Amino acid sequence: MTRQRRVTVTSPQTRVALGRRHGPNHLPRLTPAEIAIATRIRRAQLRRAVTALLAVGGVLIGLPIVLALSPGLGELRPAGIPLPWLAVAVLPYPAMAGLAWWQLRRAERVERAAGPATETAAETAAETAAGRAVPRESG
Amino acid sequence: MSAVAIIPVVLATLLIGARGVAAMRSTSDFLVASRRISPTLNAAAVSGEYLSAASFLGVAGLVVKDGVGALWYPVGFTAGYLLMLTLVAAPMRRSGALTVPDFAEARLGSAVLRRFSATVVLVIACLYLVPQFTAAGQVLTLVSGSPYWVGVVVAGAAVSITLALGGMRAATYVQAFQFVLKLMLFIVPAIWLILQAGPDTRREALAPVAFTHFGQETDVDFRLGTRLAVVEPTAVRIDGGPAEVLVPGVYTVPGETRWSFPAGARVPEIRGAVVPGSGPWQRPLLDADSTGHPLLATLSVLAATALGTMGLPHVLVRFHTSPDGRSARRTAAITVFLLGTFYFFPAVYGLLGAVLLPELYLSGATDTVVVALPARVDPGWTGSLFTALLTAGAFAAFLATSLGLLLAVAGAVSHDLVPGTLRRLRLTAPVAAGVVVLLALPAARIDVGVLVTSAFAVAASTFCPLLVLGIWWPRLTLRGALIGMAAGFVASAGGMGAGLVAGLEPGLPSLLLAQPAIWSVPLAFATMMLVSLRGDPPPWAESAMLRLHLDETRVAGPRR
Repeated sequence: MTRQRRVTVTSPQTRVALGRRHGPNHLPRLTPAEIAIATRIRRAQLRRAVTALLAVGGVLIGLPIVLALSPGLGELRPAGIPLPWLAVAVLPYPAMAGLAWWQLRRAERVERAAGPATETAAETAAETAAGRAVPRESG
Repeated sequence: MSAVAIIPVVLATLLIGARGVAAMRSTSDFLVASRRISPTLNAAAVSGEYLSAASFLGVAGLVVKDGVGALWYPVGFTAGYLLMLTLVAAPMRRSGALTVPDFAEARLGSAVLRRFSATVVLVIACLYLVPQFTAAGQVLTLVSGSPYWVGVVVAGAAVSITLALGGMRAATYVQAFQFVLKLMLFIVPAIWLILQAGPDTRREALAPVAFTHFGQETDVDFRLGTRLAVVEPTAVRIDGGPAEVLVPGVYTVPGETRWSFPAGARVPEIRGAVVPGSGPWQRPLLDADSTGHPLLATLSVLAATALGTMGLPHVLVRFHTSPDGRSARRTAAITVFLLGTFYFFPAVYGLLGAVLLPELYLSGATDTVVVALPARVDPGWTGSLFTALLTAGAFAAFLATSLGLLLAVAGAVSHDLVPGTLRRLRLTAPVAAGVVVLLALPAARIDVGVLVTSAFAVAASTFCPLLVLGIWWPRLTLRGALIGMAAGFVASAGGMGAGLVAGLEPGLPSLLLAQPAIWSVPLAFATMMLVSLRGDPPPWAESAMLRLHLDETRVAGPRR
């Protein structure tokens, strides 16, 4: 009769934190299935991150260039306020909040679309969330 | 009377701080509140910690001094969180590391890199902390007439006691409370000022004229020695004495003197300064030292502030109080929204200040414009009340930011440089606060916004490439990270130091030294990538990077 191995019950984060003490090569290794999922997620996230960065760059680099090239915009005064001032003081904030919301939803969708988590992982996560320990039978 | 307003702020900070003590047991509790904070509360805490004296006082002061273009600073400050959301928030949280040096070691497995990162943390934190304490001293000097050192010491004592009592658990509630407090104390007086200023002032604020003649009899208090160029014969009363006529020429005003100018007198000039209300002042681009390259200067400031945010040690550690990667990302998104709300308002103070208190640009005391405005608009008791409210808000800003920074310093010293027990970690914070107080005492001359921006430039040139490449690029090697960070550090910190020492004429070289981010960040990225490509990453590198992109529910039980 084989004696069942005793296992430490910890949250995934604690496990990573404990493994880190001995360097990244002592971290729990990812399974081939996990590596496949992670590779797919990373590529999808990177693609979305690049488009988001282009949009942010459009605001942060494009707006100063437009303002530098067209000094005549100062003649336009909606509600008495010079248009270039509005472009610096007001416009960027709703634009950035909108971009943040857009990018957040896209990033979360990638993680959801990557398929359901593996069964054991989902179980562990649910139980960790419920704050219960998961004792394993030991012979 | 206004100085009394800071007492409730300090007391509330201490009380909320004390609440967290009971439940604190481990290093993890102290540093990251055992990671059980909701995204909204955490976003309020991130914003509360982030809105420092540079945001509360500095931006409006820079608008008076440098012009409308200074409003690009808060745009960059906010964009930093958008970039964090996109590039680092969730993977960084999943790394399970407590601090940036921790992350460096977790991803690349080197104690040397960890210690180097911890040293950079100390440099950034110092560049950021000293101006906070300086601003505390300046505001208290203005509102109460107390000596400069009193404000500095009061701030240092309040901050270090809170930290030593409660750590980050306390800090999360303190910071969230401080965000709401600061938002209220900034927005309500701004609206009151707009209403109270009257239609003429409002119209003038939107269509300013250059400040060339004093509109009324004006007292200018020179706290520090200043060089003025008198353009035409001007009758001036010095320290309340009889009027004497100054012939045109350059004068050196000694510190702690008051010059009173009669109405209609020609305003003296300051070499290299931007005259409030003039054409260059109204331009929506930043060119603080009149270098003649406003677009380049604006883009460099934006690069430093937007990319530097993710490298600020006190900001990163805050994301680890989120329970998982997804809520860290949500925290960043909500923070963009909260900061955007706050940053609508520095423009109000800056534009009104340029019309009502343009003489501050002569004495260089523009950092006090926010606190000085209410008394100018209403000399009665309402004005005093709003001065008191704004003083309280400004003090809340110093406290909040200093708390987070001292925690990062304490973490770097006792977690990364000399690993120790919780007791040692608690003692590090007050000691660090004492050191910063000593550094801030002789630093009264410093411009709050400028020194804070240099902290951003160093962070953008060191930690930003480390984090971005560490998270997204499997080929990053230890050598690449070390050499790239060293290159970025020498380029940014060394460039700014050389610029100070060399004292160049305003122009392209002086701009590139004073605002190095536009070339030092690409340099750091390129060095890191080129050196990495010449070596081979260890076999576990790809797995260590991919792990950061796998959400927590997917990482299964322990296995070998």
